[in-house]
Amino acid sequence: MNAILPLSHPLAGPNLPRQPRQRQPKSRLVALLLVLAGLVLAGQGVWIHAKAMLAQLLLDRAFAETLATGRAVKPWPWADTWPVARIELPRLGESAVALAGASGQALAFGPGHVPDTPEAGDPGTAVYAAHRDTHFRILREVKPGDEIDVIRRDGRRVAFKVTGTRVALWDVSGIDPRAPGRNLVLATCWPFDATTHGPYRYLVEAEVISPAKAVPPGPLVAEAATGPRR
Amino acid sequence: MTSMRREAPAGLRRAIQFRFGYAALLLSLLLAVLALAVGGRAARAEAAPALVTPAEMQSGALLFRANEKGRYVEAPRLGTDVDLSVSGPTARAHVTQVFQNPTDRWVEAVYVYPLPEDGAVDTLKMVVGDRVITGDIAAREEARRTYEAAKQAGQTAGLVEEERPNLFTTSVANVGPGETVLIQIEYQESVHQSGDRFSLRVPLVVAPRYNPAPVTQGVDFKPGQGGWGQTTTDPVPDRDRITPLVLDPRDDAPVNPVTLTVRLQAGFPLGEVVSANHAVDIETQGPDSRVITMKGPVPANRDFELSWSPAAGAAPSVGLFRETVAGEDYLLAFVTPPVLPQAEDKRPRDVVFVIDNSGSMGGASMDQAKASLLYALGRLSPADRFNVVRFDDTLDVLFPDVVPADAEHLGTATSFVSGLEASGGTEMVPAMKAALSDRGTGGAPRLRQVVFLTDGAIGNEQQLFDTIAAMRGRSRVFMVGIGSAPNTFLMSRAAELGRGTFTQIGAPDQVEARMRALFEKLESPVVTNLSARFSAGGADATPETLPDLYRGEPVVLAAKLASLSGTIEVKGMIGDRPWIVTLPVAQAAEGEGLSKLWARRKIADAEVAQTLGQIDAEQADQRILALALRHHLVTRLTSLVAVDRTPRRPDGATLSRNDIPLDLPAGWDFDKVFGAKPKPEFREAALLLPATARTDAPTAADKPVPVEEVVLPQTATDAELRIMTGLLLLLAGLAAFAFGRRSMGGRA
Repeated sequence: MNAILPLSHPLAGPNLPRQPRQRQPKSRLVALLLVLAGLVLAGQGVWIHAKAMLAQLLLDRAFAETLATGRAVKPWPWADTWPVARIELPRLGESAVALAGASGQALAFGPGHVPDTPEAGDPGTAVYAAHRDTHFRILREVKPGDEIDVIRRDGRRVAFKVTGTRVALWDVSGIDPRAPGRNLVLATCWPFDATTHGPYRYLVEAEVISPAKAVPPGPLVAEAATGPRR
Repeated sequence: MTSMRREAPAGLRRAIQFRFGYAALLLSLLLAVLALAVGGRAARAEAAPALVTPAEMQSGALLFRANEKGRYVEAPRLGTDVDLSVSGPTARAHVTQVFQNPTDRWVEAVYVYPLPEDGAVDTLKMVVGDRVITGDIAAREEARRTYEAAKQAGQTAGLVEEERPNLFTTSVANVGPGETVLIQIEYQESVHQSGDRFSLRVPLVVAPRYNPAPVTQGVDFKPGQGGWGQTTTDPVPDRDRITPLVLDPRDDAPVNPVTLTVRLQAGFPLGEVVSANHAVDIETQGPDSRVITMKGPVPANRDFELSWSPAAGAAPSVGLFRETVAGEDYLLAFVTPPVLPQAEDKRPRDVVFVIDNSGSMGGASMDQAKASLLYALGRLSPADRFNVVRFDDTLDVLFPDVVPADAEHLGTATSFVSGLEASGGTEMVPAMKAALSDRGTGGAPRLRQVVFLTDGAIGNEQQLFDTIAAMRGRSRVFMVGIGSAPNTFLMSRAAELGRGTFTQIGAPDQVEARMRALFEKLESPVVTNLSARFSAGGADATPETLPDLYRGEPVVLAAKLASLSGTIEVKGMIGDRPWIVTLPVAQAAEGEGLSKLWARRKIADAEVAQTLGQIDAEQADQRILALALRHHLVTRLTSLVAVDRTPRRPDGATLSRNDIPLDLPAGWDFDKVFGAKPKPEFREAALLLPATARTDAPTAADKPVPVEEVVLPQTATDAELRIMTGLLLLLAGLAAFAFGRRSMGGRA
């Protein structure tokens, strides 16, 4: 700032008359920089959302192929994860394709199946986590008694009923992956309106209401191919 | 002058405007930085809630986080004694764990420890005071309930659970103040045979395993600090040197001292008996028997490996043993096929070498892996083709496809391998995929072999197995386990699925001999199309289909028989020559624990069948549960539980849960393994770390099954924050712009 002041000082010297022309572009430059910085930052923020939505389109296609072929399919060639399930909230008309693993990278694209928890519908507690500001923002609307359907990669559809919701610390979740029964937990960050990262997680707990049934792959593929329902 | 006068206020205004522009810019930038910093700090703060200095500690002691945040408890002390009796082809191990509670409260101790991956754990005994309680086998959940009920009721209880086939947990509830509880488990295993070499491995340490997401590289290994790895150090921790919070094993004397004795009855005159990793005393008791004692108690930080070979000319080529349990007959057979002179049929090979240069390989392991690979490169013949893949959490394939093993390509590969350094995470699956991607032979029939060098320190074993099962094609996978504590379960199962072998390299001086043996296997014609026929019929044999054999390997067959009569006919092809051997069942010698071994193998078969998609998960579970309950074995579905029915902990006295810390394997570089971000598999392992190291929240997502509960990933993005800050900046910019316009307009 000091280095600049003399230039802008009204009594800075004989070249005073030329100052207006010199300074005007500068202040414009500053404004331009601010606008650019703003655009970049906001763009990054929007990109996070865009990525989350675009990825779901690709994931839908990959998951449809998984259902048809029974094989893990990468949604794009350089992906390090692949779709493993589709989570549907029939009452709210929402669905999302979940990915293997819950690394930060995977979560940018869709809900992640937390490693070393069973698949939904298998004995134990299956846990899927997603960002509260993208795919799992909808969890705030989920109420006890709601149905959650999970279509597994083997084509089986498992229906769960929400038994309750609670808030837990990220490392004291109280979720036992080997708990008796067939349970499902959807997890996201809490509180929903916060803008920074926090230690709390919002958990939607559900238990199975219908045993896993084999569903003919035909209609399922067609359904999966209709694209995301958002 | 007039112009000057007019000019001055305008200049002043511009000055203000100019300053405002800069101030706005700076302010906005400051705001942005602050916002991001706050976000970052929030993320960090949540993960390290327990950074409390335990000021009440007077002298050094091992402290561990208690259940309540910010509270620490003194660790229960633990000693382990291993007593192994080898008789012929099998070994029976008694592992005694001594839990001592140094505190004045009632505690629950939890200890995670390794066992051989093919060990059949069948007995649990608990000694409390002068009472001995024998454990019962039960379905895992039921056992857990029994244990929890006893814990609540104030009764002393012990529980043995399987986490992985080679990883177990013992929990002991209600150990009284100052009290000592003994837990003894027994397991049965078969002796491993390769050529003339018989061997036995006692894993003594659980290597913290890697799971997805990279480990940050830490400080370089300091050679001067290898003291904790030396077997001669006093096992009783030098407690004065131990600072309460920093539990970096480089600074700590390892806890968990281990004593070990092997009573060896080989059944044939013995030649050399060697302990690869530990100093031992060997006492000769007869031509075929020895007693091997490990010198001094040692810290549990490297695996014990004992190998023996027969005296010259005494090598047995056939072994046949039987056992009758509950009216049923079990049989164990070993047949070593003859070694034919080097076959003319030396088919050219395509060899893909895969080397793990992840952080867990840091230190001695990396050197061994590099030496092994360099040796292997030197063994290639000009007709062979090869490629090299290296991986940590990234992956490099040296050549686009397999290339001829000529001087130029070998030179490139040698300098590539020599330049490798250990860092990063262990993403094994993509590397295996790359190695198994087969682009065909281009005409001539060639053998395709994958030699995979790793310590196997990963927790997502099943994913790797699935990859091999799905992609193996004509390739054979040879696993080479590197380091003092490789994950042998991963290695042997991967080799089994890949129809190759598993070679273990535990020390630098083993590199050449073991790699030579491996290469002899790779080069020798394999014994193929093996089958076994029981003339009496009605036999339930495992493995159902016999795997191909490599040079020096015996056929190993376990079976439940309908009757102890008739013969077993083993048929196969050595190269292109048929080979048949007939064994008379009635002449089998008495053996011990064969039924357990048979059941353990049947259980492993069910797991493999599930991986290969031959049976579904529920069928596999049913089979495993039935076998385990009948044969009293601990599996992933069954546990042993023992409850002392006398209630002891008085009402009102609280129980605090303590975890027994683990030792890192010797030769592991603490910083490289954990970097700044610990990646332990279990909470017990995490407790070894300095509390300050447990700071990275997002990586917590990648932890595998914790013993108790799921750790949830970070599930918030800073999208909103970025958008808001961005818009703010945008507004500031526009405002500055508009101000500039106005001032210009005013002047005009």
